[in-house]
Amino acid sequence: MSLQVTESSQSGAMVLHLKGRLDSNTSGDFEAKMLGIIHGGQTRLVLDLGQLDYISSAGLRVLIKSMKELKAKSGLMYLCAMQDYIKEVFDLSGFTSFLPIHPSLEESLKAL
Amino acid sequence: MPHDTMSFQLASEASELERLYLIIEDFGKANDVPAEAIFQINLTLEEIVSNSIKYGYQGEAGHTIDLSISLNSGTVTIIIEDDGLPFNLLDLPEPDIHCPVEDRPIGGLGVHLARTLMDVLEYDRREGKNVLCLKKRITIEN
Repeated sequence: MSLQVTESSQSGAMVLHLKGRLDSNTSGDFEAKMLGIIHGGQTRLVLDLGQLDYISSAGLRVLIKSMKELKAKSGLMYLCAMQDYIKEVFDLSGFTSFLPIHPSLEESLKAL
Repeated sequence: MPHDTMSFQLASEASELERLYLIIEDFGKANDVPAEAIFQINLTLEEIVSNSIKYGYQGEAGHTIDLSISLNSGTVTIIIEDDGLPFNLLDLPEPDIHCPVEDRPIGGLGVHLARTLMDVLEYDRREGKNVLCLKKRITIEN
């Protein structure tokens, strides 16, 4: 019942692979990580959500906050590979207008 | 028709959310509730219980929240009761989900999702308690 985040660098972007749950218990650490990365100067981010089992509003909050920070630096962030039931949450939240979602990591990297 | 009811209590602490997820997942698996519905119910319960702790109990530990979950005729019903301060999460304003990211508020999405994903979400203040009832219609997996 935790969130594991591993980083990789691909096509000049930082890719974060999330595994587990992004909820009110794990969102604090994830927010610190995201803001650290963005403040460190990284402006091209891809979140690979292929192994994300769960997201709640606490997780969505971190993504909006990160996107606001990125936008101020003319950065961009893509999401990819998520399960259908998680994608529905993004659709219902109106995120897709500012946070593009791709079916696979390859497609996100190609779109960068 | 399968019919099962279960009652349990949570302490007013954020760490209890983990136990809540597991209880709901176990209930769902035992009753063939589709994984997607279990996810949506858990998301809604996380919202309700964390608001109950934060606003109803003002973040104070040492209180309890009563829950019951049942499945009858293809509908999962969950009742959540706390005796904290009156707090109706359905009074929270709906966020504007169409404005650009620069203007988006950072919070407020939880209630919007809960309302959208559940078939029924009702609040009542009864005998000094906040009582929330949610219902989710499901298709039982074979």
